[in-house]
Amino acid sequence: MSNPFREDLVSRSPAEPCSIVIFGATGDLTHRKLIPALYNLAVDGELPTGVKIIGFARRQKSDIEFREGLELLNRQVSRSGQDDKIWGNFIQSVTYHTSEFDDVAGYKSLAEKLDALDAEHGGKGNRLYYIASAPEFFDVILIHLKNAGLNEAKPGCWARVIVEKPFGTDLATAKHLNQVVNETFQENDTYRIDHYLGKETAQNLMVLRFANAIFEPLWNSKYISHIQITCAENLGMEGGRGGYYDGAGALRDMVQNHLLQLLSLVAMEPPTDLSADGVRDEKVKVIRSLRQWDTPEKVAANVVRGQYTAGNIDGNAVPGYREEDRVAPKSDTEAYVAVRLLIDTWRWSGVPFYIRMGKRLPKKSTEISVHFKDAPCVLFNTPNAGAPGGNVLVIRIQPDEGISLRMVSKIPGTSLRLEPVKMDFHYATSFGKGSPEAYERLLLDAIAGDATLFARRDEVEEAWKFIDHIEHAWHQSDTPPPMAEFVAGSWGPREADQLLQQDGNQWRRL
Amino acid sequence: MSTLPSPIPDFCPELGIEIPVSDIDKELRKLWEQDEASTNASLMNLVVFSEKPNSLIENSGIIRELTREHACRAILVEIDSAAEPHIRAWITAHCHLAEGKKSVCCEQISFYLTGRVTGRFRNTVFAHLNSDLPLVFWWQGELSDILTERLVSVIDRLIIDSSSWANPAASFRMIEENSQFNDDLIIQDHAWTRSFQFRIGIASLFDDPTAKTALPGIHMVEITYHPDHRNSALQILAWLATQAKWNDCECADGFAYRSNSGVVISTILRADPASAPLSSLVLRAEAATVQVTYEIGASHLQKQVEAGSYKATSLSPADPTSPAELVGLQLARGGKNSLYQKILPRFRAMLD
Repeated sequence: MSNPFREDLVSRSPAEPCSIVIFGATGDLTHRKLIPALYNLAVDGELPTGVKIIGFARRQKSDIEFREGLELLNRQVSRSGQDDKIWGNFIQSVTYHTSEFDDVAGYKSLAEKLDALDAEHGGKGNRLYYIASAPEFFDVILIHLKNAGLNEAKPGCWARVIVEKPFGTDLATAKHLNQVVNETFQENDTYRIDHYLGKETAQNLMVLRFANAIFEPLWNSKYISHIQITCAENLGMEGGRGGYYDGAGALRDMVQNHLLQLLSLVAMEPPTDLSADGVRDEKVKVIRSLRQWDTPEKVAANVVRGQYTAGNIDGNAVPGYREEDRVAPKSDTEAYVAVRLLIDTWRWSGVPFYIRMGKRLPKKSTEISVHFKDAPCVLFNTPNAGAPGGNVLVIRIQPDEGISLRMVSKIPGTSLRLEPVKMDFHYATSFGKGSPEAYERLLLDAIAGDATLFARRDEVEEAWKFIDHIEHAWHQSDTPPPMAEFVAGSWGPREADQLLQQDGNQWRRL
Repeated sequence: MSTLPSPIPDFCPELGIEIPVSDIDKELRKLWEQDEASTNASLMNLVVFSEKPNSLIENSGIIRELTREHACRAILVEIDSAAEPHIRAWITAHCHLAEGKKSVCCEQISFYLTGRVTGRFRNTVFAHLNSDLPLVFWWQGELSDILTERLVSVIDRLIIDSSSWANPAASFRMIEENSQFNDDLIIQDHAWTRSFQFRIGIASLFDDPTAKTALPGIHMVEITYHPDHRNSALQILAWLATQAKWNDCECADGFAYRSNSGVVISTILRADPASAPLSSLVLRAEAATVQVTYEIGASHLQKQVEAGSYKATSLSPADPTSPAELVGLQLARGGKNSLYQKILPRFRAMLD
């Protein structure tokens, strides 16, 4: 029976009461992102009445100790601050469960605890498992959930799992993990989280393209020269992150998931509907249509990897990549990557897409820029007229989320001089109210059973397939493409500039 | 600058600089040229219309709050029909720091019109709208003959407060008559917005399986409200009946319904001068009681489902009460307000 009072009231699927079990509950993600996100949903009245949160981790802690630790961080990071009355009410729903991830008894007692909570509070039996542990425990947690029967929903209920990144380290491990996940949960109960998709501007990409009549007719190889996706970070390996990063690299850490997801949203065909599979069917077609760089020669011609050397950021001296904390002195892990991609579809034939991601670049910025072809070479666009470049539509993902359009205008005066001008839309200027954190939206969607903003199995595997060829060329071929260098605080290696110059293009200056 | 006695002083910092009406555009341009560091932002034209004396200054304060989250060109209008024909105008800007750094400013033009103003008012407003941006028209207080078909034809969103009307049935008829050529007109009623979180609260409680199971057995609805806000109580009752598909029946005193399963649903509407606009909504079934309550001054609503020994409680945000908050919520939600349109016939039938 549906809830008639929900009809027409909110424009999304209703979120039902459930128990949320967070594996890896003592970790940073739980304290900094997940609990503050759930708390802010409670502040906004979005968290269903009767939601119970169980933290599952190895460290011995009481409920009270666990709650105190959560409160300490929530006060610092919650976007709405902390209202003691709401927190007091919210935290009563949070308990802690101590167990090793491979301890059968721990899962049995978890099952008993969940049943007891349902019996005590009249819960129906819906379960959401959030695997936020270190990746090496993903398998074992999933297998034990299955062995304990926790993966099976009671009649009329659901059991879902959210899996954090990294979803595998290559195609083989991703396939293995997918197999373990799908032996435990149905694919439509599996939510592979990519927090980039929860960002307001990423969600707005489809609205921009498909709710405005002016863009879609131009969104093809006839009018678009090329598209750039940039994810620049000014941070390096502070806070001990070198340990993880040196084993992953820019390509696997960012491009395989976040940036290919953005690419698929930019390049996808209009979906038949806005259902999760309607959207994901179209997204996966983009990834599947990527031309494969499947030889070292093709990788050398289309991909640039790099490491930064010592330099300056914001006036402060910073070390080179190989001198960073927890990075191997002879590391061959890339801290910068630029990829030239081609999508072999009717719409995008001949349009290069360039993706770049780098650490220790001059500033933090993630954006997509759509570069339109120049106007015909007559009138104002003759070689001598000096028209300053074509139109560029920029979609800023972070920070300062917004959209701008560059166009050419006449400078006032008696002579004919042209300059680029920019029409700019800033979310923060136009909409004073801040956006919810990406995790808030994504957690609520998972509770409501809406997987639109989560990656599907085939999306993940197709992305790894593309990435694997490049990784193989770098690390397993006899003639690996070289590692380029750039000075920390600059916009990446010269080779990355040349990658675009061969097509007559250049990176957008951010 | 004024030539006639006026309740608004010659120097009125709340409204900004007083200028001749013909100079408004020129003076606005000058205002922006003086301060290149600020960004002029606007997503809509927001006209605030009032016939209440001294409303301009009060409304300027409301706009100052509202523009923190809703960038607009605000046009404030105060009318005094009894005085000799005259017009005064002021311009100012409300600036706020966006994300603590950028100064974002919204223009405000204020008009004080006296005498018979129907045509002058319309032309004055139309001449100063930002082109291409939607027109949100906030009509404060009782409707009057200034609300004409020609005026309504250009309004995208009409904000009213039916709780402030002496004869809501007649006022709704007036809007209906004047909006027959504007099919896209969106009406937003403060009386309806005051119950938003109560409705969200009830809806979320019925996600609970215990409450959902009890839904067909509801036999009593009790609503406690402030006497000034009877319309909010009636609208929430109309909403419950419409959504649950209860049929009107004359099987009990007052408003009564019969559910599809044949259960008679009685209602108790309790007016309490000490109450908030809405202070309690209780739905009783044989198997469960579902309620949302609010205590004056609290920051949150209390939601509760109770069935035997089972009791689930939670908090959710309280409904806004100030005019700025109410309009802010209406603008933030946007959309067609289709649920209000859906319950409106049933609500209006209750007024007759």
